[in-house]
Amino acid sequence: MLTPNERKRYDRQMMIDGFGEKGQERLKQAKVLVAGTGGLGSPVSFYLAAAGIGTLRVIDCDVVELSNLNRQILHWTPDIGRKKVDSAEKKLRKLNPDIAIEAVCKTITIDNVFELSAGFDLIVDAMDNLPARFLLNRAAIARGIPFFHGAVSGLEGRVLTIIPGESACLRCLYRGPVRQEKFPVVGVTPAVVGGIQAAEVIKFIVKTGRLLTNRLLVFDGLNLEFTEFKLRKNSACDHCGEPRP
Amino acid sequence: MTVKIHLHKTHRRHTEGKEIVETKGDTVGACLADLVRRFPAIEKGLFDDKGKLRNNVEVYVNMESAYPDELAKAVKDGDKIHLTLILTGG
Repeated sequence: MLTPNERKRYDRQMMIDGFGEKGQERLKQAKVLVAGTGGLGSPVSFYLAAAGIGTLRVIDCDVVELSNLNRQILHWTPDIGRKKVDSAEKKLRKLNPDIAIEAVCKTITIDNVFELSAGFDLIVDAMDNLPARFLLNRAAIARGIPFFHGAVSGLEGRVLTIIPGESACLRCLYRGPVRQEKFPVVGVTPAVVGGIQAAEVIKFIVKTGRLLTNRLLVFDGLNLEFTEFKLRKNSACDHCGEPRP
Repeated sequence: MTVKIHLHKTHRRHTEGKEIVETKGDTVGACLADLVRRFPAIEKGLFDDKGKLRNNVEVYVNMESAYPDELAKAVKDGDKIHLTLILTGG
């Protein structure tokens, strides 16, 4: 049941066709895990908090550095040296004091990924490295909960929504390890990509619209183009494929 | 048989800035070989030392993933190949 204050706060989004009070109730009941509070995690968690996601767990193990501030918009100059999750929690609480925010300062590992995702309805991938993304992908598949992938480099980004058992997962196109390098980026790129990830999460929870499943969306900010590539679920995928006899 | 290859921006430095290169071939592998013949410097960006497609390169034919066995995928006149790179940053 929405409070009078919540009805006022979310009035404009409840006006959207397919949302309404029922959609807002769904957002209020939702428990969302956002892995990473950096370039992508900042806009994702900001827009999800603003939209009224009832419980938001943000996970990050880093502290804020000066070099983060060109893109990680939840962290500001006075936050340098603080834990990112503490910095994020403070801003998100100020933005929306009506929702529950859980700040977890941990490195995501194979030993804790299942525990960290227990009880959550979905996982948002806002990480900055492939090994952690794959851990989350596997956990989401094992739990049968959706996984919302986003990644950036320079002025380019990509988004894919994964519904376990139905659509291609992040691992379906895997050919082998990829070397991890320091990546270039300007803040507007994760702003665009993170905004799309948040939109996908909201649509999924509200149960409206068409998701980016089996459709890899590539954003080219340099030419301002969006391109969509069709993916197929890989039956031999070592994360979501058929178990071998 | 002409197949257009749409190049990722990081590879365009090897193709005189060309975003699209017309190639000849009846498979993705043959088209990429034609591309490398014309722009040899692109080879290191696409293939490792053993001639295997690099793990961070993705191949799409007519906007659909060509995975797995991308290089063996048959193409025909007028087809489009897109080369993209896996992104890891967040």
